[in-house]
Amino acid sequence: MNGLMTPQLIRITEIYDDGEASRHFTFEPVSGIRHSARPGQFFTLAIPGHGEAAFTYLSLPDAQGRFKALIRKVGSLTSALFQCNHGDLIGFRGPFGNSWPLEQLKDRRVLIIAGGIGLPPLAAVINQLSTKESTPVGLIYGSRSPADQVLKQERLAWHTCMPILETFDHPSSRQQLTGTPLDHIQQMTAKLGGSPEAVLACGPEVMMNAAAQHFIQNGLPPEEIWLALERRMHCGVGECGHCYLGSSTVCADGPIYSWQQLIRLQSQTTA
Amino acid sequence: MTADASAHNISRIIQTICPFCGVGCGIGLRVEQEKITGVEPLASHPVSQGKLCAKGWSTAYAVDPIDRITTPLIRENGSFRPASWDEAYQVITEAFLAAAAEKGADAVGVIACARATNEDCYAAQKFARAVLGTNNIDHCARICHSPSVAGLRQTLGSGAMTNSIDDIEKADLIVIFGCDPTENHSVLGGRIIGAKMAGARLLVVDPRLTRLARMADLHLQLQLGTNIALINGLLQIIFANGWEATEFLSSRCENETALRAKVAEYPPERVAAITGVPEEKLIAAARMYAKAERALLTYGMGITQYTTGTNNVISISNLALVAGQIGREGTGINPLRGQNNVQGACDMGALPNVFPGYQEVAQQTNRDKFADHWQKKLPENKGLTSLGMTKGALSGEVRCMLIMGEDPVVTDPDQHHVQRALEALDLLVVIELVMTETAAMADVILPAAAFSEKAGTFTNCERRVQLIQPAIAAPGEAKPDWQILGELASRLGYHHMDWPNAEAIFNEIAALSPLYQGMSYPKLAENHGLQWPCNEQAPNGTPLLHRQQFSRGKGRLIPVSHADPAEVPDEAYPLFFTTTRLHYHYGCGSMTRKSPLLERETPSGILFINPADAQALAIKPQTKVRISSRRGEVETGAIITDEVPPGTVAMPYHFKEAPSNRLTNTAQDPVTKMPELKACAVRVTNLEVEHK
Amino acid sequence: MRAFLLDQIDRLRDHLAAQRSLFTPQFAAGSSELSWLPLSHNTPSAAIERPLLATYPAKQFFFPDREILFQFDGADFKETLPKPAPQILFGVRSCDLCAIAYQDQFFQQDPYYQARRKATLLVGIDCQLPCEGGFCPTVDAGPFVRDGMADLVCHQQGGRWLLISQTSEGEALLDGLNLKAAAEGSISQRSRQEPQVAAQFPSAAHIETGIQRINQTQVPAELWQAMGLQCLSCSGCTNLCPTCSCFTSYDRPVDNGFERERCWDSCLYDAFQREASGHNPSAAAGQRVERFWFHKFSDEYFKTFGRYGCTGCGRCEKTCPGVIGVHSVMKRISAIL
Repeated sequence: MNGLMTPQLIRITEIYDDGEASRHFTFEPVSGIRHSARPGQFFTLAIPGHGEAAFTYLSLPDAQGRFKALIRKVGSLTSALFQCNHGDLIGFRGPFGNSWPLEQLKDRRVLIIAGGIGLPPLAAVINQLSTKESTPVGLIYGSRSPADQVLKQERLAWHTCMPILETFDHPSSRQQLTGTPLDHIQQMTAKLGGSPEAVLACGPEVMMNAAAQHFIQNGLPPEEIWLALERRMHCGVGECGHCYLGSSTVCADGPIYSWQQLIRLQSQTTA
Repeated sequence: MTADASAHNISRIIQTICPFCGVGCGIGLRVEQEKITGVEPLASHPVSQGKLCAKGWSTAYAVDPIDRITTPLIRENGSFRPASWDEAYQVITEAFLAAAAEKGADAVGVIACARATNEDCYAAQKFARAVLGTNNIDHCARICHSPSVAGLRQTLGSGAMTNSIDDIEKADLIVIFGCDPTENHSVLGGRIIGAKMAGARLLVVDPRLTRLARMADLHLQLQLGTNIALINGLLQIIFANGWEATEFLSSRCENETALRAKVAEYPPERVAAITGVPEEKLIAAARMYAKAERALLTYGMGITQYTTGTNNVISISNLALVAGQIGREGTGINPLRGQNNVQGACDMGALPNVFPGYQEVAQQTNRDKFADHWQKKLPENKGLTSLGMTKGALSGEVRCMLIMGEDPVVTDPDQHHVQRALEALDLLVVIELVMTETAAMADVILPAAAFSEKAGTFTNCERRVQLIQPAIAAPGEAKPDWQILGELASRLGYHHMDWPNAEAIFNEIAALSPLYQGMSYPKLAENHGLQWPCNEQAPNGTPLLHRQQFSRGKGRLIPVSHADPAEVPDEAYPLFFTTTRLHYHYGCGSMTRKSPLLERETPSGILFINPADAQALAIKPQTKVRISSRRGEVETGAIITDEVPPGTVAMPYHFKEAPSNRLTNTAQDPVTKMPELKACAVRVTNLEVEHK
Repeated sequence: MRAFLLDQIDRLRDHLAAQRSLFTPQFAAGSSELSWLPLSHNTPSAAIERPLLATYPAKQFFFPDREILFQFDGADFKETLPKPAPQILFGVRSCDLCAIAYQDQFFQQDPYYQARRKATLLVGIDCQLPCEGGFCPTVDAGPFVRDGMADLVCHQQGGRWLLISQTSEGEALLDGLNLKAAAEGSISQRSRQEPQVAAQFPSAAHIETGIQRINQTQVPAELWQAMGLQCLSCSGCTNLCPTCSCFTSYDRPVDNGFERERCWDSCLYDAFQREASGHNPSAAAGQRVERFWFHKFSDEYFKTFGRYGCTGCGRCEKTCPGVIGVHSVMKRISAIL
């Protein structure tokens, strides 16, 4: 059995395109060894000769150990991944990091805010919350334009069981909402039947920070606002140092932080 | 006891000299199981004092055996196959002899290497002159400091750094002219930072807002290609205010009247208009420099890589002489040599016009001296420069070339022209460590030993000749360049190059070159190197040149005039284009790009553009752009920075993926044939806008 | 903990070298550079008795500059754990021992580090004089070896050596030397002596003030920026720092496959945190310089490790070409009003 630094083989079983330069991948374990993961955790994929990169679970491992990821082509590893076909074997390590605070969200009114490709890291938690009667949950999803949207199939499913608002910087028709997710909080509050009691967000840091400020001003305690951060994560176990955020490492202590934790980490340094 | 191969198991540390630039830092190579796994800085080294730059720290990657060429390779049907040395030598000798028989001895040429040792460079020029019978021998000093050699020889009599690196701490003003030592000569740059922290003032003259410019007391951000106008302007102000070193001028210099007359044509208003530097800053700079107790001036490629390169250097010299800022500790004219051994390669006579020690080939007595020692009649014909050889290759004059460790396809101006020239040769032989772009065009490749695998000497920018030591054996069949050349010489019937070791070559150099006369390997080892001239009069070397008198006697003031670069922006090509180097990389990148850290630091192609120009072209960070000049075009990503002034864009030249030298101009300095790498005109196109 | 008397330190060293491979700081021939090297015959012990630090701390024995993590042979990934022979590091100074203890904790879960560490016994030495630039007393990292940080400790007392065993493995190494037990009270005499040695160190008030100001985020961003401008991103400080542990990894092609090598990285490099998208949370050099010192001197890390990430060795000051080593930085921080 290899240690945490050495990948194990997984097989690509399904690939399909979703949005601009993004693709769905489904993986299954080769050795038959299944692993379990929690919403918000991440894993790494390795392609020999191209290194390794971190990805979030779009769906958590099922009974057969199959799980999914949405991958966007940005660098050399993802380019190599886009060259892969069904049946190809690649390296996997994980799961790493903490998860969305599901226990704490029980019986709360939850607002989820996603910006751009910040939606996939929220998919697993949406899947779990949207099926719970006791937890009213709504999603506001902001994108640059309709062509930039991802997770079409998932959103179709979610639409059947929860309120979703989709908004665009550059809409393609008059019927579509314009603006950032923040512009539509009122509308979502109405749909949810009251102000959110907890907020989960993932997307550009500017957007997340603005959202957090908004809810703080409206009296939501900072420990009820949760953000998923992105950093350059390498080792996954808090050793290599690349994903530092103040005195924490995003790969081991994060990627999910409460606004309360973030404020504290940010106040540790000045520059 | 045995240990697993991956266990940490230091076996020894070999003290040698860092191979990455002309500063010549001391470096210890850590050897584990016959592999170089790391480096140690050397606190006792007089130059580096326990420090290294990012390149030095990554030396173990640079010499990683991973992609080394380990046997001779011969091109066959478009690809390379391993061959024996015998077979490779056979192919080479046949082609070289055939070319010489058909077109004469000058139909062949040799490019030596400023990264190789003195011993290798000496062997290369001896091979060209004594074996091939041609003065077609040159190396990349042509494209860095040939104007320094030519300019300072005329004014002072010697083209090297006049002072020592130690003088940085002795100066109360440091002038940094057209270079950024913190990027390219980092450890020396660090010593400038140290001097600044200890109270020295900094005056930076550079079109770019460099790191030192940001720290400077005064920054003259002149327009590209206006060095002479600026210096003439400073001289005009100095003379007009009576700030010149009167006593020094009358006792040690000549031709003052002519210079005064020339610089009178450059009053501040006119100079401000040409250079874009406000008058008050010109006056402040002139005062600062002329009135400093000890002002040390250092310059780099921003002076030399122009069609006016030699005149730029002469201007610098005029300025130092008039202000009397030379010949004393903490002063001087200090060209920063780029490659680790570019000083040595010049000293060795790997130049078409001089024998070792700058002894002119044109002089019969010199030819007789070397002919006598080398036991061979020597050619009188004027040799070709490196660019002359590429031109000759295109015209059919030059048929065969041997290139030792240089990569002109990446580093020389106008890449397409270089490639066509090398393709046109009957035979191209490349002696290399790895498959560079130039090696990939060769007919025969011979595997060379790296600096860490051989003995020899490097001469740093302060004229310090330093010993290097082999840390490990060369991989496969690779061997030192001098040995390859010696064996090739034997095949061509010449047996005065079959040296037993590098030390024997050094002794031959010392016997023939007065500058190195008093040196020997044991003496170099004892003294952490010695600075030339080292001879009976100066047995411990010479840290400071021109103390009592200049090498040529009197310092010569030579009036020079401002001239625009050969190509200036116009409607079709509206931006100035200049080339730069990055801290993390060295030359064509064949060594530094093997480090995963250095390679990560920079994308493999960058265009630096000012925020104002970027905005006008709707360029955002990392926007894909196309840069076109009259010679070619390159596509790369943009980095927006106020380091470059509005109207000027810059590209580093290290990357084969985005070769800046597809754009650069081959227009040359008439004296040295230095190409104008620092200025040409380009057009930048935003490819993302074009797409939409 | 037991104490013995030893007449000559070389006797101990040679006795140990007969049992395991032994590495100790030595001068290269004809040079004043002190490096960690395998014990060679006739190595004089001069370096041991003088207050000199080797160029490197001992960290590369456990966390080497470069090491292979696994291989991919074309079919599968194979972990490549090191199998080091039993070894002894002889003459480790207290600052470096404290750093080893720090990294032991940091790399607790790292099988590569632990494999090397478990094969190693440490023989520490008390410093009897301050070394150049060192300030270990200020950060509780010396001058004498702390309890539990070495297997054996050598302490000069009068013309002889007091040899203190701190572990049973350490004591077992002494079998066959037939050492006499030291007089009662010699250990407490050692303890009384330490403050006297510590008192000989030059004032480190700037370090103390600096630590306070860093923890109270009182250092203005402009000062970090000014010092950032002086950072030439050489990686020298992080390479020589005994507690620095950042690494990167990359794939190297080898015969029929690849191997993943991890190698030391530096948080001072511009692209250390740059993401594939180009976004860089620490794009400004000043941020990176602050980060480095925060990591060394923040109470946040003190809470985790029971000590600061700086053990007062002063190596960064000596190797920094940009004059922003620990003394330079802390002096500037302590000079702000």
